[in-house]
Amino acid sequence: MIEQDSIESTRLSRVAAMAGTGVRIGVNYLKHYGRRAVGSASDSDVLQEANAKAVYDTFSRLKGGPLKLAQMLSIDRNLLPPAYAAQFAKAQYSAPPLSYPLVVRTFRREFGKEPSEIFTSFSKNAAHGASIGQVHRASKEGRDYAVKVQYPGVADSLRTDISVLKPIALSLLGLKERDVAEYLAEIEVRLLEETDYALELRRSMQLSSQSAQLKNVRFATYYPEWSSARILTMDWVDGMTLDKFADGPASQAERNAVGQALWDFYEHQVHVLRVFHADPHPGNFLVKEGQLWVLDFGCTKALEETFYRKQFRFLDPTLAEDPFRFNAALAALSIVLPEDGPEKRARIVALCARSIRLLATPFWSDSFDFGDPAFLQAIYEMGEANAREQQSADLKGRRGSADSVYVHRAYFGLYSLLSRLRARIDVSLPEWIKSGT
Amino acid sequence: METRERIRSAFGEHLREHGRPPETVFAFCKQIEIPERDFFREFASFDAVESDYWEHLVSSVVGAVEGGSEWKEFNARQRLLSFLYAFCEASLDHRSLMLSRLGPLGPLAKPNFLKGFERSFRVFAKGVLEHGMSGGEVAERGRLAGLYPDALYTHFRSVVDFNLKDDSINYERTDAFIEKTVAVAFDLIRTQVVDSALDLARFLIPCRDRNPA
Repeated sequence: MIEQDSIESTRLSRVAAMAGTGVRIGVNYLKHYGRRAVGSASDSDVLQEANAKAVYDTFSRLKGGPLKLAQMLSIDRNLLPPAYAAQFAKAQYSAPPLSYPLVVRTFRREFGKEPSEIFTSFSKNAAHGASIGQVHRASKEGRDYAVKVQYPGVADSLRTDISVLKPIALSLLGLKERDVAEYLAEIEVRLLEETDYALELRRSMQLSSQSAQLKNVRFATYYPEWSSARILTMDWVDGMTLDKFADGPASQAERNAVGQALWDFYEHQVHVLRVFHADPHPGNFLVKEGQLWVLDFGCTKALEETFYRKQFRFLDPTLAEDPFRFNAALAALSIVLPEDGPEKRARIVALCARSIRLLATPFWSDSFDFGDPAFLQAIYEMGEANAREQQSADLKGRRGSADSVYVHRAYFGLYSLLSRLRARIDVSLPEWIKSGT
Repeated sequence: METRERIRSAFGEHLREHGRPPETVFAFCKQIEIPERDFFREFASFDAVESDYWEHLVSSVVGAVEGGSEWKEFNARQRLLSFLYAFCEASLDHRSLMLSRLGPLGPLAKPNFLKGFERSFRVFAKGVLEHGMSGGEVAERGRLAGLYPDALYTHFRSVVDFNLKDDSINYERTDAFIEKTVAVAFDLIRTQVVDSALDLARFLIPCRDRNPA
């Protein structure tokens, strides 16, 4: 048994696994054409669904970089055909568990001490997985701690995975690298940042102290003395994850309070701090005694002033009424391009006007009821319709700003969490938009 | 015993500095100011001294992990992992020597100067395997089980080899290598695959270094 060979062959067998997907897609197409040949009704949606399933199965077997990459691509529904996006949205990345001796080794290397020398108790098995490591429960002097330990070399393997598999993944998904290069670069940067716990610690402490005044929003205390690039220690919070709370028997008043806390937290981050928690996954929020606890600042995104103005100008309800200003705003974000002909431009402008009118609805009244299922339904339908229109009118390609990826992700995430909560939210637009400056 | 240790450490010093053993035993004895007779009373050759040097390194790591506060609660897999991590940590003090002496060798090479290294690892591995068998982690497979120590030793040598070639920050790739290969080994050790694989390995590995039983 010579282990280097098995590491080498791991990469090979990954490529083989990917090739397997190619074959299965081919088979699905054959079935499709076969059905057409015998004259039965063939539905290209069914076909795409089957292909998406095959690609997804392959990616989830691979885990690590490729799955994360696919998941990130699925954030922006414009980047992936809808059937693929739906499959990847299901993905829940989990790293293989670290053995306890490796946790001890990591502790020794980072702090020169073993977990048992720092804490009075330390769970040998992980309490739960984190995206690129795992969380152990520890205690000391009557206090409970959550200690996140990272898998060794995870940044390295993420980088190799992405570079080796990117071309294959793109061709399987039918995307052109030049069209999505900017998005991929943005996604890679964020993914690699997630592997730096020292950065996460700084951001967590900063964001939580700058948001401490928000009503009903709580943050765990972080412990820099027991944190490093590979280990992150914070208070253990016993609470209900946001999705469990939303699906449970909570009263309307409790739902509104938690929903409002979530909304206020995002508004404060985006419009005041200009840096936001870009991973609004229900597992990253806990509800305890009617308050919202925010966890996991691994993925945050900063907004530069110029981009912020360009992006959030669309919240101005008068903008879409003024074709000249609206056109200029779209051009500023490179959504319409100088080389677009008048007909193409008109289609894009109409499509954007439609989308924005729907997406910005919650901002344009004093309060908005996310409990109305028609709203999210309308968003999904619009997403599908836009995707079809984009295909047919050849509006694909390099449009929009890569910075928008995480803004979209955050707001789609926020809307779907609030809908799940069925919360009614009080809203007010930022001052600069109201005054029209 | 004191002479023995003195010879061992002076020899290690020399190897580290020059990358090869001294010219003659006589020159070496003159250098450390002992009569030749004292050297040969302890060791038959430089290979024997070097073998003792490496044996000492392995057994001191074994001693350190076995003395750990959580050792008794560890299962076989955790014991093996603890040893491998601790060995990699300890080997940082001997890395230049390992690079010059072990670096050029493949994991299957069995030079005379590594006899003690292998012997002392095998004693440790035997203990780990017995612990695993009593806990049900390692299946008892009669004659085939006798090959487990061979497999574990080859694995240990590949870990060392991997570590010497590893240029990642903090040797993190070695950590991942240990973690993943030990997981595979213990997964295999519970299935029938290993019987066939070991049978094949026994057929392929040349017998010249093994004493006919």
